[in-house]
Amino acid sequence: MLFLLGAVALTTVIVSQILNPTPEVLRPGFGFWLMVVVMASFVLLGGGGVMLTAFQAGASIERRSALVRQAAGIDLISEALPSSQQHPNIPRDADLTNSPGVTLVFRLPTAQMPVWRLTLATLVFLLLTAVTSVVCVIVVNHHLAQTPDWFLTLFAVPLVIANFWAVKYFFTELGVHTRHGPTCFEISHHPLRPNSECEIFVSQAGRFSLPAFTVALVCEEEATYSQGTDIRTETRVVYETEVLRQEDIRIEAGTPFEAHSRLSIPGGVMHSFQSGHNAVRWKFVVRGTPVSGPSMARTFPVLVYPDNQNGQE
Amino acid sequence: MEPLLSLQIDDPHRTYQPGDELECECQVDAIDASDIQAIETSVLWYTEGKGDEDLGVHYFERRVPNDAEDGDLRPMHRFATVLPNSPLSYSGGIVKVRWCARVRLFLRRGKELFFEQPFHLGAVAPIRI
Repeated sequence: MLFLLGAVALTTVIVSQILNPTPEVLRPGFGFWLMVVVMASFVLLGGGGVMLTAFQAGASIERRSALVRQAAGIDLISEALPSSQQHPNIPRDADLTNSPGVTLVFRLPTAQMPVWRLTLATLVFLLLTAVTSVVCVIVVNHHLAQTPDWFLTLFAVPLVIANFWAVKYFFTELGVHTRHGPTCFEISHHPLRPNSECEIFVSQAGRFSLPAFTVALVCEEEATYSQGTDIRTETRVVYETEVLRQEDIRIEAGTPFEAHSRLSIPGGVMHSFQSGHNAVRWKFVVRGTPVSGPSMARTFPVLVYPDNQNGQE
Repeated sequence: MEPLLSLQIDDPHRTYQPGDELECECQVDAIDASDIQAIETSVLWYTEGKGDEDLGVHYFERRVPNDAEDGDLRPMHRFATVLPNSPLSYSGGIVKVRWCARVRLFLRRGKELFFEQPFHLGAVAPIRI
């Protein structure tokens, strides 16, 4: 389309100049030459797209994939790729091993909790409180002045109810994000491998009581697929094992709860895997359900490499 | 009559470990040598399951008649490749990774045919749902 537009427009501009030559417009600047440059760029970009499409139509899926792989072999590109040449389709662990631990070798970063709900709750809370306050002040003033506006009074009732709900929802969301203190998770070595053992250390700060505090190692599959015009993602837990459980713990401010544990990675499990639409992810999940209030769940992604018997490391 | 495409993996068990060498031989028959435009041999993995298909080529070779001594691509052709560390074959709940060797034949009249032989890389246990 771009190619056609550029070609037609460029031809029109040049032909009109040949048929009705106007030497004054041939000067550089806005006008003829600018049109020529813009239309020529359309032709070049569109032509490139046409050639690429023609090439893809003629090449097999394997050939195209091989060309992509060849390009990925270039040093500058390969360093920017999400997986290394030595372990294709396994994410790099640079982000997981760049923080040394205090007790064990690595301190794992936590997967960020989505804050969009808190942001939305804050916006609704602020907006609704402002509107409700103004309406309530006007209603009260009318009543004090012995000239009640009953329509506005009736309008204020659902507004106040909605405002109560917004305040409650905002503080619940705020509690989810701030009630529990930071969780620190350390690991003795990384990446993990099947048939190997590793030590973990977890510390939980805050001020609350937990009937149960658990750490689980979880493997989850993730598949992204197109359904009509939507893109959907489905996840399924295929492996989960509890590696630490502490019951009835009380965490005091300034004295974080700390625990060590050892775990064995079983043999025959799938390694971490990442491709365009499919993934296998491993993570530690720290869970706690307090006596009252929202429960806590924090995830710490980890990589599991294959247990290579004679592969190149 | 359809051309005959054959692809044979040397190891009858078709089970390999990362770093092992996969050896294959392919052959084309029941077709005129002059009708062959190109033959592509590849070793690749692809995904199956709930998600859209992903594919990664580990080994790829394209041969055209000029690459053969007498311009005839029909005789048996051997190729070998050292298998990578990952991804390993996997039968999960919604994600599956399959490995195969594939031969694709391009004919002069624009038609193409392919044939593949699956094999297993690694020893990951299947997921039982």
